[in-house]
Amino acid sequence: MSADDFFDRTEFVQYFRDETEELLQSIDSDLLRLEGFVDSGNVDPEIVASLFRGLHTIKGSAGMLDFKEVQGVAHKLENVCDLLRKDRMPLSESCVNLLFEGRDILTALVHAAIDDGVAPEGVQSFMDRLDSFASVYETTAKVIEGTNLPEMSAEQHDETTPVEQHEIDAFEAEVARLLAAQASQSAPEPATASPALPLPATQAAAGIVDAAAAQAAIDALLAPEPAAKPAAPATPKPAAQAAPAAAVTQAPAPTSPTAPGKAPAGGKNLTIRVDIERLDMLLNLVGELVINRTRISDIANTLSRNVNDPNHHQDVVVPLAKDLADSSALLARTTNEIQESIMKVRMVPIGQVFDRFPRMVRDLAKARNKEIKLEIAGAETDLDKTIVDEVGEPLMHLVRNNIDHGIEEPDVRIARGKPRAGTIKLNAYHEGNQVIIEVQDDGGGIQLEKVRERGIKQGLITEADRLTDREIIELIFTPGFSTAEQVTDVSGRGVGMDVVKKNILRLKGVFDVDSVLGEGTKFTMKLPLTLAIIQALLVRVANELYSIPLDAVIESQRIDTSDVRTVHGGEVITLRGQVVPLIRVGEFFNLTKERDPDKVMIVIVGLQGRQVGLVVDSFQGEQEIVIKPLSDVIGRIPGISGATILGNGSISLIIDVHSLVASAYAGGKVARAEFSGV
Amino acid sequence: MAMNDKAPTKLTGQTMQVVSFALGSEEYGVDIAQVQEINRMVTITHVPRAPHFMEGVINLRGQLIPIIDLRTRFGMPRTEHTKNTRIVVTEIGSKRVGMVVDSVSEVLRIPTEQIEDAPDMIAGVETEYIRGVGKMGDRLIIMLDLGRVISGSEKRDLETLETEAVSA
Repeated sequence: MSADDFFDRTEFVQYFRDETEELLQSIDSDLLRLEGFVDSGNVDPEIVASLFRGLHTIKGSAGMLDFKEVQGVAHKLENVCDLLRKDRMPLSESCVNLLFEGRDILTALVHAAIDDGVAPEGVQSFMDRLDSFASVYETTAKVIEGTNLPEMSAEQHDETTPVEQHEIDAFEAEVARLLAAQASQSAPEPATASPALPLPATQAAAGIVDAAAAQAAIDALLAPEPAAKPAAPATPKPAAQAAPAAAVTQAPAPTSPTAPGKAPAGGKNLTIRVDIERLDMLLNLVGELVINRTRISDIANTLSRNVNDPNHHQDVVVPLAKDLADSSALLARTTNEIQESIMKVRMVPIGQVFDRFPRMVRDLAKARNKEIKLEIAGAETDLDKTIVDEVGEPLMHLVRNNIDHGIEEPDVRIARGKPRAGTIKLNAYHEGNQVIIEVQDDGGGIQLEKVRERGIKQGLITEADRLTDREIIELIFTPGFSTAEQVTDVSGRGVGMDVVKKNILRLKGVFDVDSVLGEGTKFTMKLPLTLAIIQALLVRVANELYSIPLDAVIESQRIDTSDVRTVHGGEVITLRGQVVPLIRVGEFFNLTKERDPDKVMIVIVGLQGRQVGLVVDSFQGEQEIVIKPLSDVIGRIPGISGATILGNGSISLIIDVHSLVASAYAGGKVARAEFSGV
Repeated sequence: MAMNDKAPTKLTGQTMQVVSFALGSEEYGVDIAQVQEINRMVTITHVPRAPHFMEGVINLRGQLIPIIDLRTRFGMPRTEHTKNTRIVVTEIGSKRVGMVVDSVSEVLRIPTEQIEDAPDMIAGVETEYIRGVGKMGDRLIIMLDLGRVISGSEKRDLETLETEAVSA
């Protein structure tokens, strides 16, 4: 169902995507709040109303776009909320879990619908479960009140979904079964067994007991759990069997983290919501530009009329020169402000990413039988939209790792004299031109020796390699570092951590890991505020100007050629006791083989604690540059990350420090160990 | 875009507007719809380790445009740039590419039935870049398939480059 029926359907779909994303997020936080009321049993009607509204809007929009499955699921979830709203159903944990699951299925369906993807499996069985869940209470209410609930049935019939017929069979079987279950246990709780019942009991149990299997399942960012068989064929189980199943009600564990995991990977949101004030400011500035343009063209006209008339030199040309100078100053000011404003328009608060974590932490903590508090600070920190979009995935992997491997089980924590509940802190703040994001836990810390052993076992390093602590920690971020056999929390971190490293480097960021055994781990990433404008050091190489991003530059040095020595055939210098490999930029780019016989100009760049000296011809000062990508017609050029246009209109290529540093250290493990800094 | 690329050659009873330019002793043409503008020679910034036919990039009103030297692309000997040398800025899909040509002649209207499929061989130019040959009296205009000009074997070149980069 793509661009067929309406001309600008895509626009509607885009709008639907934005709106729905926001609504799903708010449904999520509503559910989290709702969950807080489970113990007391009272429901804050405001929360339920908000939930209901959200679902209702999604249902309506999905209906307009003919996304039938989204509409259907939203409708049935709405029914459940309606029961809550009308006090026909007590608030129970199972109910909240069911709603959470529904929210995830809805998310998956929305993504599938927008991207014309394949709808997740298990939707049908989930709808059946929703129905049976709701029906129990409707039936109960009917029995108790003796009323007919006319409005409910009317509503159920006017929105006919293609599944209706199929439902009825399953529905009836479920009702019979659930009623039986309910009869045997007076509390409404047994009904909660319904989500788990369709699963073979052993399988459901395995889902929770076997952490490794669950982990594997989550890692696959699974399409909904195949184990969830349609409810229809379920032979009614004796009530006695319902009880153990109820114990594993939380077993949606494998399915529920799906949505938080999938959200960042799913279709990118290409639109941005902008504060109207920011736009107005921009508009004002553009207004000034327009006025100024008129003024400059006036000056040009007057000048051209008088240019051949020497008599008017004093009374016309001199004032014009002054006017032009004013205009030019105004132009400079306005363009600067426009540049700042447009960057602000691109900025969004990182809270947009942080928002999804409360839910994820809740789900995973439950699945792992851990108690975890999530503390979020700095959610209002602004950064560039593209970075916010990209940073979600690495953060997710980090938080997941904290939960899986960082935070210990409650018993272990108590034995270690820590509070029963672990804490994960997410924090963001600005520091100069960068934004710092920290993910910190108070768990067990990284066991370096174990990581090293694993690295050796997996052939990433050898017994003989002498690695610094930092390098051992970096092993975790190596793609080959697998967690395949991890069963306990001693095996070190590694799930998707290579993704973390890859994404951060792609964003031109750096990261740092602080870990104290027994006390916890703190992961810090430093990202540029924006990818578009950076400070750069201009250098000349073979008569071309190259830009080196200043955040990677440690210092520049002019040293004697005699101080350059060779190690393993590569040139190095010793800088304050540290061996730094050199790269001759001109030769790296095949530009020149000329060498100054006496002196070498070196820009020391550093990344992740590794330093490299870039040999250039001369330094040309610092400048703020606007990064422009090289056309994809040219393709990826090793060592070049983009280009910029300088004040005089000439082009300067931007040196990709990451790839240069990587190439300097790619020369075998021995060299790496020897060169390893700090 | 593929439609734009191919459709005009298939229609009859219509004319095709073509920007013609010279390269050596031959005359070439591209669909005017694909030509964005024609510029005089400007400073081209060399991009190291780019495919060999990539001259570099130019600054076109704040946009970076990659420049292909058509002579190099077609394996012709390179010549000094003259006052007639032009950069033909083309737009293929979302890609903008400038092509250095010896000179730009004029805009021609060629009846589509006068455009024949590419013959098997044309001296100097690999036929894979050619989409047809237009006849205007005794003139032969070689119609270029721009999509092929900017992609084609350049992929291979890039791969070779990267392998070199890794082994270096």
